[in-house]
Amino acid sequence: MPPHFFDPHILIVEPIFTLAVVIFCFLIYFKTKESYDLTKYKGIEYFRDAFLFFGLSYVLRFFFSFVFFSTIVFNFISPREIFAPFFIFFLGYFSTIGIFYLIFSLVWKKFNNRNMLIFGHCIAVLLSAISFITGSHMMIIYLQCILLAVAVVLSFVIHIGRKKVSKTKLLYLLVSGLWLINLLVIDRRKPFSSGLDIFFEAVSLIVFVIIYHKILKWIK
Amino acid sequence: MTKKRERLEVIFDILKEISEHHNSIRPTPLLRRSGLSSNSFSEYYKELISKEFIREIVDERGKKYVTLADKGFKFLEKYKLIVGFIGEFEL
Repeated sequence: MPPHFFDPHILIVEPIFTLAVVIFCFLIYFKTKESYDLTKYKGIEYFRDAFLFFGLSYVLRFFFSFVFFSTIVFNFISPREIFAPFFIFFLGYFSTIGIFYLIFSLVWKKFNNRNMLIFGHCIAVLLSAISFITGSHMMIIYLQCILLAVAVVLSFVIHIGRKKVSKTKLLYLLVSGLWLINLLVIDRRKPFSSGLDIFFEAVSLIVFVIIYHKILKWIK
Repeated sequence: MTKKRERLEVIFDILKEISEHHNSIRPTPLLRRSGLSSNSFSEYYKELISKEFIREIVDERGKKYVTLADKGFKFLEKYKLIVGFIGEFEL
């Protein structure tokens, strides 16, 4: 018997929203392919890779959510215990590297690209390994929150003297922040209202649609 | 003091020069018009050849000319939009 706070409607709505987010992530990736192929511009490369990794993260989030769901609805404990750490590892890696690539796309001109990439992948693997060992997706959230806070501070330090915060940076912050919230609400055993889950999924989708729309302005 | 041109801008300027010369120009005038040092020009030139943006043709008198390839035309066509996209997302 499912717990009373589990809303079965979310089972229909959530995959639709997640699928839509995944589609938009991959659309952004493929739509910008020609621009990258023509220019081999590093900024475009990091931007594309960020959305590829976010797309993969949302795919994994969906499966992770499904495993949680199976635990609750079918009272079927073993698959979660077996698969959850592996999901957590890849979820942690893809999403961390997605956040890193978004940051790289903004700061790549100021750093040595090779060292920056090695650093990003090392941090992502380390973070995923910690999450894997602890077996908790909450660990990814805590560590990515710290990463995001560092990125925001770094962004302000680099662009010190600029009076206005750019819309792009706000969008990137929203992409990363909403990812963390969507990861937080993944655990159906927690007393989050399904309305709130759907609200955050919808806001995430809107953010990705805005980004895609902005791209379409330039890339037909 | 003039601002140092970005890599994409340099490529655009080289390709535009070729295009404005009826898609056929000798390498030496192209070097002169590019505003680059000969070393720098040579690097860009090799890169554009290897990436098939431009190609060299030799006429019946044995003189070498540079022309735009399909990718070069495409770059010129899309350049403004790509630069707009890069600016929009601060890439």
